[in-house]
Amino acid sequence: MAADLEYSSFELMAVTGARELNDGEIVAVGLGLPVVASFLAKRTHAPHLTILLELGIVDPEPIDIGEGLSDPRFWYRAKVHTSFADMLGMVLHRGLVDVGFLGGLEVDAYGNLNTTLLGDPKGKFRRFTGSGGGNDLASCARRTVIIIRHEVRKLKEAVSFITSPGYMAGYGERERAGLVGGPARVITDKAVFGFDPESKRMRLEAIHPNTTLEDVLSNMAFQPIVPPNVPVTEPPTAEQLRLIRDEIDPDGKYAGS
Amino acid sequence: MTKLTTLAEAVASIPPGSHVALSGFATARCAIAFAHEIIRQGTSRLTTSQCVGGIDADMMVGAGAVERIIYGGGSRGRSGQHQCICRAIEQGAVATEEFSSLSMTFRYLAGALGLPFIPIRSLNGSDILDRLQQQPQPVVGRLNDPFTGDDWLVLKPLVPDVAVMQVQVADEEGNAWILGPRWDNVEQAKASKRTIIITEHLVSTEAIRREPERTVIPGFRVSHVVHLPYSAHPSSVYGVYDFDEQHMGLYAEASKTPQGFQKYLDEYVNGVKDHWEYIERVGGLKRMAELDADPVLGY
Repeated sequence: MAADLEYSSFELMAVTGARELNDGEIVAVGLGLPVVASFLAKRTHAPHLTILLELGIVDPEPIDIGEGLSDPRFWYRAKVHTSFADMLGMVLHRGLVDVGFLGGLEVDAYGNLNTTLLGDPKGKFRRFTGSGGGNDLASCARRTVIIIRHEVRKLKEAVSFITSPGYMAGYGERERAGLVGGPARVITDKAVFGFDPESKRMRLEAIHPNTTLEDVLSNMAFQPIVPPNVPVTEPPTAEQLRLIRDEIDPDGKYAGS
Repeated sequence: MTKLTTLAEAVASIPPGSHVALSGFATARCAIAFAHEIIRQGTSRLTTSQCVGGIDADMMVGAGAVERIIYGGGSRGRSGQHQCICRAIEQGAVATEEFSSLSMTFRYLAGALGLPFIPIRSLNGSDILDRLQQQPQPVVGRLNDPFTGDDWLVLKPLVPDVAVMQVQVADEEGNAWILGPRWDNVEQAKASKRTIIITEHLVSTEAIRREPERTVIPGFRVSHVVHLPYSAHPSSVYGVYDFDEQHMGLYAEASKTPQGFQKYLDEYVNGVKDHWEYIERVGGLKRMAELDADPVLGY
């Protein structure tokens, strides 16, 4: 029975991420769980998904998921070896990427994402990765999906630095800044969020199994919109777990507990 | 015409204060032997640029050879941050012009095409743009599309003084093949005033002529060719050798502190006379053979 399956919160996030992808779409992925989510989607309900890596890779089929974008393990059996100008320019900037997956240090109530620094940008701060292709995906993809740990220090009312804009201050500010698309979902290890169509403030869409509403809300620094009836996130199937554990991420580099 | 020379001579051709575009991406095809030689020769006040930071830039920044870094961010991947770059930014020891992967690519592309500026959809509404608008020398601007009237962000082109490209195959004229993904390398080389090729394999021009469709950097854009196997170690070169996880771990640990990084430099850079002594120090031919790529896997 599905209810008896044991799985990690990372596995649930990967499965939930996979469900955001539709067959025939083009997805750009970076590091970590989005990679697991995309390969899982492709091996289940979305066999015609096209997977792009920004540095110039189309549809890899790795047997070892590797250490990151720059690891040749990740490029194995790709159909195309190309460039940033092609992937991020002629596909993403052209408007052909359906989904961009993003992870980060902090996200705010309007889906603005920080991957650059923590602290005071003009004073004392700790420096992290910066944008890479993150800002480009947030600016040019038809929609983005953010995967982030559910912690008070990560789900903030305001982020220290907007690396990748979401809906900015909401209420159409994103469109006024000349940007299309925007974040469609935020997936954490406790819940799934969407965005209110008008205010663009984060809205609770589903709560993961074995988690309570109180647990969700007390571990974030802002109050999301909470609709009257919030469903429970669909748990992983045995086949999804088998694919993640045996084929996609056998060493548990990204989806391991 | 042969442009074949030594790494020392190629590096000596770069005056202090030059803008150098680097071929590395995180832990792949990083210009490591080049970075070492820059540090040994004491070349200073460099500007480095690349779409995504590599450990080539991290080493040069850590050694104090760089006064300005133009890049789109970046880390080593799962194994952590570029600690020397992060530290230098936190302490204000290096000036930064920070973009995104695509905006960097567009700047090189505009440079390569000889365009005065290039419009882009990225960066709008971000603090990245906010900071770029505060740069003392303007690097971004706004313009109306003459056809639609739409307002566009435009970027200033990048024209580096020299591109340093770590490649798999080249001939003595500098006709170069990059195998595997090329990230921003072709645009970097073509935007730059000249290119230094550092190649794993040196082949005859006849071999190049037999498969000219593989040539992505033409020899006429190249000033120097250096034939130097394992010159990207400990980063990977697709189809030639894997990254050295062991040495990368050692580098990650050492670069956590300025003292640790200085000891690393003393042992592996300043403490050796050249690339060959470095290779001996990191395990010699025995270790390199272990890293040799499988022809099917590419790593």
